[in-house]
Amino acid sequence: MSTTPAAVQCEGICKRYPHFQLQDVDLSFDQGTVMGLVGPNGAGKSTILRIIMGLVGPDSGRVEVLGHSMPTDQIAAKYEIGFVAEDMRLYESETIAFHMEFMKSIFSSWDDDYAATLLRRLDLIKDQRVRGLSHGQRVKAILLLALAHRPNLLVFDEPTTGLDPAVRKEVLDEMMNALEDETRSILFSSHNTLDVEQISDYITFIYAGRIVESRDKETFLDSWRRLRLTNANNRPLPELPNIREVQQSGSLYAVTVNDYNDAIPGEFICAGLSLDDVEALTLEEIFLSNVHHAKRAAREEFAS
Amino acid sequence: MTHTIIPQLVRKDLLIWRKLILIFYGVSLATIALVAVLYGRIPDRALLNIGFTLLITPVGTLGVVLLIQSNVFEKAKSTQPFIMSLPLTVREFTLAKLLFNVPVFGLLWLVTTGSAFGFAFGLPLLPLGAVPLMTMMFLGVFVAYLYILGVSLLSQSLGITILGIMFFELATSAYLWLAAFLEPIASNVWGPVPVWNTTAIGIVTMQVLLAAAALVGILAVQSKKRDFI
Repeated sequence: MSTTPAAVQCEGICKRYPHFQLQDVDLSFDQGTVMGLVGPNGAGKSTILRIIMGLVGPDSGRVEVLGHSMPTDQIAAKYEIGFVAEDMRLYESETIAFHMEFMKSIFSSWDDDYAATLLRRLDLIKDQRVRGLSHGQRVKAILLLALAHRPNLLVFDEPTTGLDPAVRKEVLDEMMNALEDETRSILFSSHNTLDVEQISDYITFIYAGRIVESRDKETFLDSWRRLRLTNANNRPLPELPNIREVQQSGSLYAVTVNDYNDAIPGEFICAGLSLDDVEALTLEEIFLSNVHHAKRAAREEFAS
Repeated sequence: MTHTIIPQLVRKDLLIWRKLILIFYGVSLATIALVAVLYGRIPDRALLNIGFTLLITPVGTLGVVLLIQSNVFEKAKSTQPFIMSLPLTVREFTLAKLLFNVPVFGLLWLVTTGSAFGFAFGLPLLPLGAVPLMTMMFLGVFVAYLYILGVSLLSQSLGITILGIMFFELATSAYLWLAAFLEPIASNVWGPVPVWNTTAIGIVTMQVLLAAAALVGILAVQSKKRDFI
């Protein structure tokens, strides 16, 4: 039995705001893994990350980060966390070097050599004032500050939002490089499914303050399929709980299913449809299907 | 491992605002020199009024500018998420802000108060009987500053802080007028010796208690905050 605490363990987190609420959020992943939190704008991704960082207190529920109870033990926990948020800013009048010295004075784990390497790799000039940095350079500077004290957990809130493709790749590459240390964990939120698909081991979909689905990436991608079917005789589709979305064009059907297994195509064939193809879905398609399904479920719940 | 980072936070603010602080300290010293130069060149009564304005303006402005820059703009300019991602709690964040703002303001306030007392009673421009009222006046400035600092830290809103400045400046003026017209104070202001009667001691004690209450209150309210971004 492993005694290593989970990187993050959230149980039953609720947080109510006037126009938004997080409801019963359970989220957990092991150290040494990458969890991608995916959801549309306003889904609650940043709120979850802020609760995990101890910056926002949940109304109920339990949060543990690297074995530290949050927000009670946030000081000990935050020595082991590197946090990068899209809305985070550095002091405009000061240089990158000033911020590096400041971080070094706080973290005994600060690694000068690694900081110098990051400066070079991220193409940053340490004597440049923050005021003169572009958005991409600012994100890279914050990334450097978060990485160079070699935290065990990296928490990234929409780190690639607003970045041009070149800088986005640099940031993602550096996130990947950080994973060379196999004990390091990353939790990051994004609405860009390509970024999430690229580096995550686990994926959690969140919509309207609720966790819609949370699995490891391989299972995630394996469990979703789109069946291309021809329904020449206009037969009714079999009523399967796995069906998430049905698109029809004449006699041609595209049926998206979750929890896919080899028996599912047989169900459609038995119902009188002919199977043309079974396609794997991209994470983006799975995400959109999940959002569509969650919206429909919310509408039905509201109507009832 | 979990030692406090308050000294690093105070040092960081001192470094960021060092130019502003030095400018205001320089201006303050210049105004003290100017008042000294004006002595004997303009009537004493005029010097008293002009001197008070000259001395109090830089210290008051420094206090307000610094608390807005370091507290209100920390949130407005989104540097707060960066700071709060570091190993500290809201209570430590607040303590660091107090340990930065209060000594920087307090030192200049002490220099200004000392100079004002020196000019008023050393030259002299006022009789020694005015010592208690002047003590109340300068303590009032310090107490008002602490409450404005509290508003800026608790609200981190520019609008609310400006309202706080207006309210506490008016309240301090009103309170000083009231104190000046209290018979046990007013009857001794123009006397040759300072009279520390129970009214004078009571008012000064209340001011000291109000200052302590402001500091304790700020920390107590901030420590209870659950959301700080």
